[in-house]
Amino acid sequence: MIAIYLCAGIAVYAAIRVILERNTMRKLPFVNVLSFAVTAIIALLIPHPLTILAAAAFFIGSTFESNAIASTWSGGMKRNG
Amino acid sequence: MPEEPLRILVAAVLCWINFVAIDIFFRLPARGGVSGATAIAQEVEKGGGDLHGGYMLGNIVSSPDASAGTLLAACGVYCAGLPGGLFAALLVYIGNRICYDPGYAGTTGAITATFLVVGMTGLGFAASDFIAGMVIAILTIQGISHVHSSRLIGRLWEIRSRGGP
Repeated sequence: MIAIYLCAGIAVYAAIRVILERNTMRKLPFVNVLSFAVTAIIALLIPHPLTILAAAAFFIGSTFESNAIASTWSGGMKRNG
Repeated sequence: MPEEPLRILVAAVLCWINFVAIDIFFRLPARGGVSGATAIAQEVEKGGGDLHGGYMLGNIVSSPDASAGTLLAACGVYCAGLPGGLFAALLVYIGNRICYDPGYAGTTGAITATFLVVGMTGLGFAASDFIAGMVIAILTIQGISHVHSSRLIGRLWEIRSRGGP
């Protein structure tokens, strides 16, 4: 039971850090922590075999969004090496 | 069987070692996998952090790496036991391909974490301890001080890069 409250606390903390950080690129690692915490909460709230699909879809989707934001901000999708 | 807060703390340390070791083994701090990861690394360096540590932070943001693998594997084991963890590894593999990531850090991390979590449940730990533990582990790298965490990874990367390819 402590696990879920801990994750919720970390999610709120990460959200506050996202708001307080002014640099867009440096916001993204905090967004990452937020996604981790929310993914954990989804899984802990609904212990059902299909939940893993929902949790993974949310997490991979949010990672893809961060990827898109960071790449757009830095001038479009270019592969480095 | 130890109390829950202690178990979560032990799980956090194990998750941290699992994902940092695998990410560094797969050379995530070497360079940014996509341009967004490189841009994050440059911003971290501008803020006083280490460039190679910044690359790893950027790569973690941009694609599911071993940390994501560890989290999703723990979620998988929590929801559906050993098959759930291995299914999570498959989802991470698909996620890597979607995010334009040619590496296998995420998939490897998910597989090792699955066996770690299943093994530790035999010692009285719960899979939920590892879910919370992994959230704490990622918090220490991405969520407290990018300057300090990137320097720590930079130092570990120096040791790794001295050891050859």
